[in-house]
Amino acid sequence: MPQSPKEAFQAEARALRLRLEDAGRRAKNASALEDLRLEFLGRRSGALSRLMAGLASLPAEDRPEAGRLVNALKADVEDALRKLEEGFRTVEKRPPAVDLTLPGLQRPAGCPHPVRVFLKQIEAIFVSLGFSVEEGPEVETDYYNFEALNFPLHHPARDDWDTLYLDGGLLLRTHTSPVQVRVMEKQKPPIRMINPGRVYRKETPDPTHLPMFYQVEGLLVDEGVTFAHLKGTLEYFLRRLFSEKLKIRFRPSFFPFTEPSAEVDIECLVCRGKDSACRVCAGTGWKEILGAGMVDPQVLKNVNIDPEKYSGWAFGMGIERMAMFAYQIPDMRPFYENDMRFIRQFRNK
Amino acid sequence: MKISVDWLKEYVDVGISPSELRERLTMIGFVAEAMEERDGDIVLDVETYANRPDTLGHLGMAREVAAMLDLPLKTPAPSLSELEEKTSDAADVQVLDEALCPRYCGLVVRDVNVGPSPDWLRRRIEAMGLNPVNNVVDVSNFILFATAQPVHFFDLEKLAGPTIVVRRARKGELLRSLDGRDLALEPDSLVIADEARPVALAGVIGGEETAVGESTHHVFIESAHFDPVSVRKTAKALGLQTDASYRFERETDVAFPPQAARLAASLLGAFGGRPTSGLVDIYPKPRKSCECRLRQKRVAELLGVEIDAEFIRKLLTALGFGLQAQPRQSWLVKVPSFRVDIEREADLVEEIARFYGYDRIPSVVPPLKIIERAASEENRPDRAAQVLLQQGFDEVLTYSFADTERQKILELPRRPIDIRNPVSSKASQLRTSLAGGLLETMAWNLNRGAEGLQIFEFGHVYFQEEEAHREQTALALAAMGRRGGAHWLARPEETGFFHVKGAVEAVMSRLRFEPFRFQHLEHPIFEEGSGLTLFYKGDLVGRLGRLRRRITEAYGIKDDVHYGELDLDALFGKTSRPFQFSPVPKFPAVVRDLAFLVPESATFQDIKDGIEKMALPNLESFDLVDRFAGASLPAGRVSLAFRFVFRSPGGTLQSAEVDRLQGRIVGHLRTALKMELREGGEIDNRAGKN
Repeated sequence: MPQSPKEAFQAEARALRLRLEDAGRRAKNASALEDLRLEFLGRRSGALSRLMAGLASLPAEDRPEAGRLVNALKADVEDALRKLEEGFRTVEKRPPAVDLTLPGLQRPAGCPHPVRVFLKQIEAIFVSLGFSVEEGPEVETDYYNFEALNFPLHHPARDDWDTLYLDGGLLLRTHTSPVQVRVMEKQKPPIRMINPGRVYRKETPDPTHLPMFYQVEGLLVDEGVTFAHLKGTLEYFLRRLFSEKLKIRFRPSFFPFTEPSAEVDIECLVCRGKDSACRVCAGTGWKEILGAGMVDPQVLKNVNIDPEKYSGWAFGMGIERMAMFAYQIPDMRPFYENDMRFIRQFRNK
Repeated sequence: MKISVDWLKEYVDVGISPSELRERLTMIGFVAEAMEERDGDIVLDVETYANRPDTLGHLGMAREVAAMLDLPLKTPAPSLSELEEKTSDAADVQVLDEALCPRYCGLVVRDVNVGPSPDWLRRRIEAMGLNPVNNVVDVSNFILFATAQPVHFFDLEKLAGPTIVVRRARKGELLRSLDGRDLALEPDSLVIADEARPVALAGVIGGEETAVGESTHHVFIESAHFDPVSVRKTAKALGLQTDASYRFERETDVAFPPQAARLAASLLGAFGGRPTSGLVDIYPKPRKSCECRLRQKRVAELLGVEIDAEFIRKLLTALGFGLQAQPRQSWLVKVPSFRVDIEREADLVEEIARFYGYDRIPSVVPPLKIIERAASEENRPDRAAQVLLQQGFDEVLTYSFADTERQKILELPRRPIDIRNPVSSKASQLRTSLAGGLLETMAWNLNRGAEGLQIFEFGHVYFQEEEAHREQTALALAAMGRRGGAHWLARPEETGFFHVKGAVEAVMSRLRFEPFRFQHLEHPIFEEGSGLTLFYKGDLVGRLGRLRRRITEAYGIKDDVHYGELDLDALFGKTSRPFQFSPVPKFPAVVRDLAFLVPESATFQDIKDGIEKMALPNLESFDLVDRFAGASLPAGRVSLAFRFVFRSPGGTLQSAEVDRLQGRIVGHLRTALKMELREGGEIDNRAGKN
């Protein structure tokens, strides 16, 4: 039986509705949904567009009803698609196909050398106290390394600074103190500086000695500077570096370039003085960490600073020894073996 | 210095336990590194100081303890039963060099019965870690460890005659020392000689031939003061350090030789010996004792704490100083001759601080002060280090020493500096380059399983330039093998020349050393055709390339190593481009990708220079985005694709204007470098990039 155009139009609409239901059941993911959207709502070749185009071939009296039919169908299609889409969103909350706990990608950065890591920490504390960072040559003259620092020629005090000598009266500095002399020659007080750098001693490498190591020394020269200031500054420094409640003691010592001289011990962080057989502190409960003192008046005179008007203090420490103590590193030599398994541990410091 | 607590008690009534004594000594500056029980005695191994020779004997240490504990010091008094015979008749002492021997005392002790030491003496000698020899020898050692004044005993009968001469050695003279060594004497050395020959090296060691032995009857006691520097030089020249030289070179008490001689004679009395009468004491220029002023105010000024005048007076008196009160709370202080370390007020302040207690001095943070010099400047080395770390290079620090042979392999034109007394033959020079240390680091890690290494070091290099030495700060970086570990998403990357070059470029750019340029240049450490030099402001500031196989193989490295170094003194001596803000562009850019056929002889640097020299307005940037070389191209040509970004700050560029600029670039590159735009090599993409 032949269909009237109206009947044909209605049959097509029904078929579309069925197709929508069927396809809706089949659509399992977002791209299938997208295909569905094109199939029905595509602007040119979508089923609804085609149906709409078919309206023109209907008799005029049938058109309003058919138009309502198409609009209803369109609303149903949009509704069905929205529901499907929401359904997929819920589904996507389930664990994804890729394991997101797999290791992430890191851009591999380099690692600074532990000596520099420790040095920068020390520098930062003193810079916060208004100290500048000064450097100087490692190849030095006897004058800057010894004489200006009040080491008389041929004095046994020099034996404590075993020296590596070069030709032409030169030597490798045994401490960074020559930098202090060089700065004091050029700059008048007030002076607040630290002077880090490499120093050299005639020592065969063993677990606690190296022929080359890093030192940080500091110097403060001004009017009215006292030993009490030295204590206050170094205690502040050591507590910031190690811990707030660190026990510290100053005891008398001798250095040619300071008078009075002191050595600074900090409590043994390993045994806290409780192990009489402690390998780190030999059971004394203390670990020597710094040398210090009031700048000897002769040293000030040597750089034309009037010791009656100005006074000052200085201190010095070995970086590797500090780091060894801080991190319980048993041997000094690895610092200059540069084994990456050693160095890279300090990446997280 | 070993200190026996029993012995100390002879001079001061120590009432505290040895461990408390040890603790208290530490706090006045004498640290006992060890404490051991020995035969019922406690022996402390006390660290002493080069400027405190007075503490190198028990009496001196007892003086410190007495002052510390506020106890009296009991000084030993000799008891002598003198012979009628005059010392000067028994021994004719002549000092020919007063400078090297300012004081010489002599005494003869006759009829000593040489034999084993009594128990008390044995104990003392053993406490010092020595083996007792015989009663006479042990007495001389006892005096040394008791008083810090070394005395020497000669067997009077073994001397060639009664004459004893203190003089300098003559060239070619020999002395067989007590420890059995034949010493060739230097003319500078001071000796004690009899009529025939030297019999002792003054202040260092006695001669074997005139030593006291079993057969000795009569002893000549020498108790002298020798010039410290002379003793030190002599001992050093002969490589001999004795308990005596150790004390003389630190300077003994010039006032003490007579007392030491008498104490020695007194002890020998226990073994039947009787001294001649009248000590020979040659002391032509008696020294005046040192005096210095001490102001109570100055003590507070230096220590930061007021210290009571009575405390000061009492302490210094107990330590042997003479105090004379002066106006304005000050004193004239007479320094005892045994305190060779004290000459100035500051030295006295230390004494006061030591006994007052460093722990009682308050801790005060100095007032904050702005010091211009401290104002933080841009720390260029730190910044460069940060850049390299970000580029994936690890920092290393290697020794400044170098091995002569390995340094030769580098064939650098730099003349190395030798170390006269190196720690080892492998460290007998200073490094002229950082390359050796980086290669050693690579070898060390490759031998331990590393697959690749990217490292850098900041450090000094040293070399001789004509008569002067040079010390330069350098930065070196090296890369070889793989970077990064195995990862499920990314493969390890093979590093090469352009990693090193990229890192160098990053350092230069981030520190704003721009513009910089590279140029091909051969260098002995690089394989031929692989070397590049870096110029900034017309000066050579660095170089990079592939290290010669010969060099890397010398370190046992088989793979290619790419290496670069910067002369930081040269670079940091120059000004960098100041940092400048430029507004974010308001108008869109026009991007043109152009591919050229380029003769192989034209370098990227040439092209870059060429384009930069045109100084085109509105050319914002240009980058090399592709490089292709292959058989499909005409021989001797490569294809380079550049991305040009054009933009005007004043408005949207019209394509006609861009075409005009592009035409100029293409024209210029054609004329200057024979570069031809490839067919279809013009892609106008991404118009409207903002």
